[in-house]
Amino acid sequence: MALKVKVSLIGALDMLKFKNLAKTRREAIEKLQPKELPKSYVTNEKAEFMHPRRQDVRIKAMRSNGPDAVTVTLESLDGKALAPFRAGQYISISVDADASTTTRSYSLCGSPARSWKGEYDITVKRVEDDGFISKFIQDKWKPGMEISISAPQGHLYYEPLRDEKKVLALAGGSGITPFVGMAYAIRDGYEDFDLTILYGSRTEKDILYRAELDEISAACDKVHVVHVLSDEEKEGFEHGFLSAELIKKYAAGAPYTVFMCGPQAMYNFLDGVVEQLGLDRKHVRRELFGMIKDPWNQPGYPEGAHAKTYLARVTIHDKEYTIPVSSSEPLLTAFDRAGLCTPSRCRSGECGWCRSRLISGEVFIPEKTDGRREADKEFGYIHPCSTFPLSDVVVEVPGQYQHK
Amino acid sequence: MPKFDAVVIGAGNGGLAAACRLAKAGKKTLLVEQHNLPGGVASSFRRGRFEFETALHELCEFGSAENPGNCRKTIVDEYGLDINWYQVPDNFRVITTASDGKTPIDATLPSGRENFINKMEEYVPGCRESVTKFFDLGAETLEAGNYLTASGGKPDSKVLQEKYPNYLRTAAYPVNKVFMALKMPPLAQDIMNTYWGYLGVDADHLSFVQYVNMVCLYVNHGAWIPEKTSNELTTGLAERFRAMGGTLWLNCRAEEILFDDDDRVCGVRTTSGVIDTRYVLCNASPTTVYANMVPDRLVPLRDKKLLPNRPFSARMFVVYMGLNKTAEELGMHDYSYFLPSSADSAKEYNNLKNIDTNHFNIALCYNVVNPKASPEGTCIVSLTTTYTGDCWRKIDPKDSVRTKEKVASEMIDWFEEKTGIVIRPYIEEIEIATPWTFCHYASVPEGAAYGYELRDWDSMMPRMMMMREEYPLKGLKFVGASSIRGDGFNSAIFSGDTIAKLTIGEMREEGI
Repeated sequence: MALKVKVSLIGALDMLKFKNLAKTRREAIEKLQPKELPKSYVTNEKAEFMHPRRQDVRIKAMRSNGPDAVTVTLESLDGKALAPFRAGQYISISVDADASTTTRSYSLCGSPARSWKGEYDITVKRVEDDGFISKFIQDKWKPGMEISISAPQGHLYYEPLRDEKKVLALAGGSGITPFVGMAYAIRDGYEDFDLTILYGSRTEKDILYRAELDEISAACDKVHVVHVLSDEEKEGFEHGFLSAELIKKYAAGAPYTVFMCGPQAMYNFLDGVVEQLGLDRKHVRRELFGMIKDPWNQPGYPEGAHAKTYLARVTIHDKEYTIPVSSSEPLLTAFDRAGLCTPSRCRSGECGWCRSRLISGEVFIPEKTDGRREADKEFGYIHPCSTFPLSDVVVEVPGQYQHK
Repeated sequence: MPKFDAVVIGAGNGGLAAACRLAKAGKKTLLVEQHNLPGGVASSFRRGRFEFETALHELCEFGSAENPGNCRKTIVDEYGLDINWYQVPDNFRVITTASDGKTPIDATLPSGRENFINKMEEYVPGCRESVTKFFDLGAETLEAGNYLTASGGKPDSKVLQEKYPNYLRTAAYPVNKVFMALKMPPLAQDIMNTYWGYLGVDADHLSFVQYVNMVCLYVNHGAWIPEKTSNELTTGLAERFRAMGGTLWLNCRAEEILFDDDDRVCGVRTTSGVIDTRYVLCNASPTTVYANMVPDRLVPLRDKKLLPNRPFSARMFVVYMGLNKTAEELGMHDYSYFLPSSADSAKEYNNLKNIDTNHFNIALCYNVVNPKASPEGTCIVSLTTTYTGDCWRKIDPKDSVRTKEKVASEMIDWFEEKTGIVIRPYIEEIEIATPWTFCHYASVPEGAAYGYELRDWDSMMPRMMMMREEYPLKGLKFVGASSIRGDGFNSAIFSGDTIAKLTIGEMREEGI
């Protein structure tokens, strides 16, 4: 039987209606009242406030905070709120050191309440193996200077839908900073969980943020701090490393999630501890690994490839540069040194902000810091912050622009 | 100053398709994208050992290599995209309450026309005839659509009347009117209505043609997904564009469209300098482009009437979860679960306006179709809802985390309650995207990734019929979800392809 569908009683009227679809729309548009087109939308403005492409801030104050550590307070230029953050997140700051421009990530270590007053705190500890950037910041930054920073980012924060109510934070050295932020967040009612910080230092005098942590834990029964000294045995302190026994002791039988932040050597050590404890991946969260400084020690690095110099041809939109690169350092370090001002943030292979296209050449990407998307691997994309050249390379890098 | 035959602004599905079509025609084309990767909402992101698909990314009208649909013919055969695809075996499972307010519905509908009809008869005895007619009508509609496209918008009305009379008689009506005309039993209508959520407009206001097209394409060809998320589709298309001679600038923001003394496009000012071109195709909302990138004196009066009065379509909210159990261990056997609070789409559309009343939920488990979607021993589940109003505009940024956590938690509860599948204890990674997130990543007004509502007189058919008069400024056209076909991966891709072909025709007339 042939199909015969009509909607109104007379099929011909249906047909006319179809014929007139465009006419009906034309007439409907004609009848509308003209209005001013909105230049922006409230929802988009709020999104822009939460996730700005960059923020310009002023250095408000700098104060010494334990051996080799300086806490820097940043403030917004207009006195208004800075982008809010979840305790544990970091910002990537842009540093113009001599002829080169580079970025470094620092955890936000103040209370989340501070961003609403237009302030962030970061703590910069002087270390030797970071390209002398921490030294540069400590020596050259002065209150009143203006710098550019990213929006808060990163994933080392408490997530109630995922984490256990009890969190054991394992900190080493300046790795204490995200947990200071979390402690403040709990005290100020921004977060609700039980935080026990196992803080490893060499000696008592190496402890950062001691007074603040004492004060918070005295005021707030959800925050506990246990100092663990490796090079000293003292009363009132645990002695040794952040071991499985110590973690079990302070977990006290309750289900818990582990957060860790510290130097790469600590992560490598804790991998074994986590295995000993039989924790699954859901319960173990780690801060950014950082740039790998010894690619030659990583599995898969070809023998004899170490310390070779090559040339990189770098295309940024319609500009082209040729620069020297080394098989012992990530491409991004060479880009920075050449002053190319290419995008970067986490410098750990994770965030993808430096995502670039490798057009030709051989590279080594350590598995530990390979945060690329699967299809990106297929189509030859790399994250230059975690990519070491093994030959001359040709790379296409996205540009960088200032928003608005 | 760099000079291009055409500049495409925005590398979403629509912009990528337009760029590929132009490049394939040998046009010197520049594609600029303000983010550092292409795709817009069709992308992916990583957390821990998981990589999450960002969108509801099923392609319809794709089909197998042996029996290709138009979409496969375009992006695989013509643009040359060579990636792995998976076919989704079942169309959907819907668990809800019928519009009568009491009858529970739990229906799983397979792909393939006969399978689908048989299953419908099983769920609603006596509906076979009306559902069969629905698919017959769908077949006629698809053919009519192909004829209309082939005729370049200038069909012979005699041919239409002789070959596609049923199409002509139903094309001007919304879904529910035609369902009534087909005498479809109410319960069958409820089940057949399920896909409305993909188009964001309820059955009282959604064009039947558009709907029957979509359902038939999904049922006839099945739904298809790329193996390595939408990023494989969009980064893959970007690579094809380059291979065909195109130039792609990522992290490059177009800021102003430039016009000459005759008020036609003569260039684009970008964050990487001024580009000389006579053709600009925007994969962006016309409302924001006209408001911010075109001199006010040139904005056509019709657009000052149309655009600010046009409601935006669905604002997205998605919970992405990496679970530390397999789909099998969890007892998840279906790929997509539609979990509206009621099958009454008009009522549901209203409920979706507010955060408190919104209980819509589309759950996808990628691993059911694609075993490589996540590492061994795990699976990925996403829960998506849409808002039909601007409720997220009112949220104070100070409450944003609390609000999104609460909505996500309720969606997880809703999913567990409706399906009986427990997922909460197994969440290893979770990320929550709100309309704000879509504002941030796709720069869409109000987080409305679906463009303008395909409602009543503004549905796909009349938009398509008016294609040649839709963009009155010489040299400036629009592609993507806000363009002539509305939302959906296919629609965005075809809008780009069609508008690019129209542009190529204009170039020919101008001797370029």
